[in-house]
Amino acid sequence: MILREPAEALDVRMRTVWALEGAIVAALVAFAVAVTVVVLVVQDASTAAWIVGVAGAAAVLVSALVLVWLRPSHDHRYFRYEVTELGLYVARGWLWRRWQVVPHARIETVDIKSGPILRAFGLVAVQVATAAAGGGTEIPGLELPAADALVEDLAHRAGIEEPQ
Amino acid sequence: MSEAELEGRLHPLAVLVFARRYASASLIPVVALLISLGTRVLVPLIVSVLVIVVPLAVLWWWRFTYRVAGGRLEVRSGLVNRTIKVVPLDRVRGVDLTAPFFHRLLDLVKVDIEAAAGGRDKAELSLAAVSHREGEALRERLLARARVEEPAEPPALYRATPGLLAVGGLLSGRYLLAPAAIVGLLFRLAEDLPGGIVERGTEALIDRAPTGAAGITITVVTALVLVGALAAGGSLLVDWGFTLRSERDRLTAQRGLLTHRTVSIDRGRIRGLDVRDTPLRRPFRLAGITAIAGGVRRAGGRTTLAPVVRSDDVLPLLRSIDPLAPDPRAALVAHPRTARGRRFVRAVPLPALATAGAIALGWWWAAVAGLVLTAVMAQVAIDRYRQLGHRFDGRRLTLRGGSLTRRWTELDPAEIVSFELRRSPGQRRAGLATVVVHLGEGAGSRRALDAGEEQARPLLAELHPRLFAPLVRQSP
Repeated sequence: MILREPAEALDVRMRTVWALEGAIVAALVAFAVAVTVVVLVVQDASTAAWIVGVAGAAAVLVSALVLVWLRPSHDHRYFRYEVTELGLYVARGWLWRRWQVVPHARIETVDIKSGPILRAFGLVAVQVATAAAGGGTEIPGLELPAADALVEDLAHRAGIEEPQ
Repeated sequence: MSEAELEGRLHPLAVLVFARRYASASLIPVVALLISLGTRVLVPLIVSVLVIVVPLAVLWWWRFTYRVAGGRLEVRSGLVNRTIKVVPLDRVRGVDLTAPFFHRLLDLVKVDIEAAAGGRDKAELSLAAVSHREGEALRERLLARARVEEPAEPPALYRATPGLLAVGGLLSGRYLLAPAAIVGLLFRLAEDLPGGIVERGTEALIDRAPTGAAGITITVVTALVLVGALAAGGSLLVDWGFTLRSERDRLTAQRGLLTHRTVSIDRGRIRGLDVRDTPLRRPFRLAGITAIAGGVRRAGGRTTLAPVVRSDDVLPLLRSIDPLAPDPRAALVAHPRTARGRRFVRAVPLPALATAGAIALGWWWAAVAGLVLTAVMAQVAIDRYRQLGHRFDGRRLTLRGGSLTRRWTELDPAEIVSFELRRSPGQRRAGLATVVVHLGEGAGSRRALDAGEEQARPLLAELHPRLFAPLVRQSP
């Protein structure tokens, strides 16, 4: 261990959001495989249909396993963040781990964002941008009140003024 | 602050520049017209150019005015839709004077003004053509916030001699490869020409190609000399008379034989300095120096400060730009031995695998070549490990990496926008981590690859003590 882990975790619902996103991708893959198999059967290429069907089913199964179960749970477990006295500290990633430390004084904007899936779960993402392109960070899943408090805290510490 | 107003139009000859721009933009449709309809459209075409393009250019010139007054630059332009661009002078980040060949024929310069427009965006203004004198006056006026009389030309920090540039061009991959690229391009173009010119030319060449050992030697030597001459010529063309000057709070680099360029950067925007060398340049003890600067258009925020320098002159030059710059020859903190294994794992397996494959297939020549390549890559891996290093002397952070192209970087830690620590599974096993520091406004980032756990922690803690004090865990 080089740096201690940040204190806060994401909202548990984020796991479901990620799993849902993964399920959509897996469903798209499954749909593509099904269409290909149907086309091949219509074309009377039954051997090819079998090969594509079996390989495709395996691919769908593996991607579903990884995207719906493995990644959401690990992404959630290994994402941690904390607002310290002088900076925002975010750690993410299970195998390839990244610890980012952004000093409050360097934060330029703090945004709240939410897509349709996040909104359905009552969650939002907080984006933190700095003057450096690779220097910003994101906290993907927080409840709105928690996010509001975080944004206010960060903006206050960064000295960003509320627009009139 | 009472300042004289500076007001004017572009140079009248700018009409020509503008007309030329129109002409080159409409070249393809015009050629298409000529090809499809024949030369009989030539006369109407010329008439329409005279009747439409020239008056348009004149109108455009007449409606384009600039004004420096009251602490701001105003540019008004547009024929029907008038545009007024206003840039406060204290937002001006740099003023580049460029004189492309056509401009130089008419003694004009193009003025590009870079300005920070709140936040990260950059506003840019361009004056297509003003007289050389006016351009210089404008640059002085835009960059001088509180002008005081200063000596006409400050002493040069660095000046490239033609000899140095020629050698530098010869030893730089960029210029060595450029002629090959041009030849390739010409071939591609020639292939599209009718009549099989390429085939016939190639056949004629092959017929006349020397077959004797002496003939081949002469051909090869001639080709090498030609490539070398082109490389040296390219470097001389681009960097002719490269001069770096310090003008109070900014650095100004001038260069170019045909296209003359003047680049100014605020000293305050310089985040750090890079010193690079390549395998070809190293034996001749030559290096290049670039500034890592924020808010600059050029890729990765790098601005060349000296294209070719003797390594003995590197330190004085670095110190003249950044008085606290450490010595590039000074020893750095070496990264742990485990990092060496990782460099091997990156470099050797691919050529080794290819060699094994070639042996399995019985392709002996390929196997020998593969073996040589494997040995070379092993050497590169060892060298890459030896080059890895970092050091923080309390004021400047030094990082070094690379093998074929070596890069030594010095940074002011106060310029770091955010910090990052990265660890892959392999690095975790080896007890290593990569420390990345992000620099703001397009200046990119720099990293200390594969630092040891016990090195990364104190490094971060020293770079920003108060920020990292609550985060670094004491070693058990």
